[in-house]
Amino acid sequence: MLGPLQPLVDMVTSPLFLMIVLFPGLTSIAIIGALLGWLERKVTARVQLRIGPLYASPAGGILQMFADLIKLSFKELFVPENSDAFFFIMAPTTGLVIGAALVGLIPFAPGIQIANIEVGLPAFLAIITLSPSLVLLAGWSANSKFPFIGGLRALFQQTAYEIPLWLSALGVIMMAGTLNLAQIVAAQSTGWFIIPQALGAFIFLVTSVAEMERLPFDLPEAESEIMMGWQAEYTGVLFLAAQGPGFVKLYAFSALFTTIYLGGFLGPSFLPPLFWMLMKTLVIIVLIMLLRSTFPRVRLDQLLRAGWTTLLTLAIVNIGITYLLVVGLPTF
Amino acid sequence: MVAQGIPEIGAYIGFLFVSTVALIIVLRLLVTPRDPRPTPEKKKPFESGQIAAGPGRTRFIIQYYPYLLMFVVYDVIAMFLFAWGLNLKALGEAGSLPVLVFMVVLLIPLGYALHLANHRENW
Amino acid sequence: MTDLLFLAFAAVTIGAAILAIEARDLVYGAAALGIAFLGVAGLFFLLDAAYVGWFQIAVYIGAVVVLILFTVMLVGPKMGETPLGLKRVSLLAAILVSLLLGMTGALANATAFPGQDSCGSGCDLYLLSTSLLKNYGVQLEFMSLVMAAAVIGALVLSKTDRGQ
Repeated sequence: MLGPLQPLVDMVTSPLFLMIVLFPGLTSIAIIGALLGWLERKVTARVQLRIGPLYASPAGGILQMFADLIKLSFKELFVPENSDAFFFIMAPTTGLVIGAALVGLIPFAPGIQIANIEVGLPAFLAIITLSPSLVLLAGWSANSKFPFIGGLRALFQQTAYEIPLWLSALGVIMMAGTLNLAQIVAAQSTGWFIIPQALGAFIFLVTSVAEMERLPFDLPEAESEIMMGWQAEYTGVLFLAAQGPGFVKLYAFSALFTTIYLGGFLGPSFLPPLFWMLMKTLVIIVLIMLLRSTFPRVRLDQLLRAGWTTLLTLAIVNIGITYLLVVGLPTF
Repeated sequence: MVAQGIPEIGAYIGFLFVSTVALIIVLRLLVTPRDPRPTPEKKKPFESGQIAAGPGRTRFIIQYYPYLLMFVVYDVIAMFLFAWGLNLKALGEAGSLPVLVFMVVLLIPLGYALHLANHRENW
Repeated sequence: MTDLLFLAFAAVTIGAAILAIEARDLVYGAAALGIAFLGVAGLFFLLDAAYVGWFQIAVYIGAVVVLILFTVMLVGPKMGETPLGLKRVSLLAAILVSLLLGMTGALANATAFPGQDSCGSGCDLYLLSTSLLKNYGVQLEFMSLVMAAAVIGALVLSKTDRGQ
């Protein structure tokens, strides 16, 4: 009927396009990211015996983040002098793209997964590995002392905690025998991996929190020390681009944790699989948010030493334990 | 043929990139205000009120540089360990012996690095 | 379609590599190197080597580029200083390098790597893993020795004598 426009219409109504734009893609990531910002402020407030955002709507201030988004769009977007404008703008923007790209790899329900890559778990971890260089560039580009120091701290912190992250994920791969995220979920139908991989899950959780630069690992953004660190010079929409990846990564990491340790979308069939997936992810998200109000900030050299010594050793021990579980005791 | 799943993630990332940049450009052109005559102080780096002096890229934290070097090597090691762990059930004990030697050889420099890290006057 | 993608990735790789060498500001050069590695990863994906492609991204762009960026920021020319003067590449050097690359390409085409496409549709990651550990186990151990030597060398070189 539409003749020459038919391929375009086919593309727009294809399931892939709908997934990319709506769920679990762009639109849902934006909405969930904003809602997570609200949730974090509410959870932190409740722990501190406050109420948190209240006035932005009748339902407990849930539109607070959207009000903030609108406000930030109207702020002037300027680049400090002597700074490197290209990287100043591109580094956080790419960080936002990378954070959202992570969500594309995760199976939310059988069939709802943007990209079912055969090597899904290494792909996820590889995309995360891109983040230290972006933070370093962002901190360097502002040509100001505090962002620069914050960028360096972020670089060392994130590179220190990546290796334990990879090695704890290795434990899951050893048990599942596949790198495909959808198949890892299927392999947990006889039992969630968090039970045999308790040590690995703990390491994964701690290193994810470090990768996201959340408390207790938020030294690069230490608000009382170096005034927001590498994000200090960002205003307006770029502030959103600098802060946004934090929440999107929280969503992505929690979803990955749920996928590889908590059985993803598996659950009793009286509720749809998507519901189970989102509920388990929400539990992990709230757990990580509670960490923020509970632990003091870790100093940089303590942090690096803990990452390279304690966590790396524990991750190797976990690999050994998993080997014994899968292959059995060595017969020498 | 292109590997499974790669076109989808490629399309997704391309779409994200284009839409994010387009959003920022649209906002910049339509909504965000612009200041035609900024005062000299406005564009200076922000240091909570005090006047910024000295170069902007000052203290390099270089005492942790060895950690970066180790990161590169152990990232490569992760690649081989993943190739091994994937096939663990089929390889069994005999196939894991090379990997055991591999890991032992590479844990020695790690131990040396941590020994150095404990002598805090070096790092 | 695959040919078009190949040309696109090859163009990105070569263009970014040229940028990496010719850029005045070394940080831009390091970032361009990262884009070049991304092009190489794309070529790996076109060859259906997804595992290698993603680890190319993780190791090269994630680790090597970070290291290069850090080093360039540390010892590169500061802002306002004149950038490093680049000598003109002599014509002789350009001819020799082109000859070398041409010969390598011709050799690679002429003597096909043994085992190429011999697994047909059974090529998968498990085969890669098994052949790596069973057939190439000795090479794996040699590689571990090389990497261990690299790490120890780097650690010794970067030890500072602040004991007094």
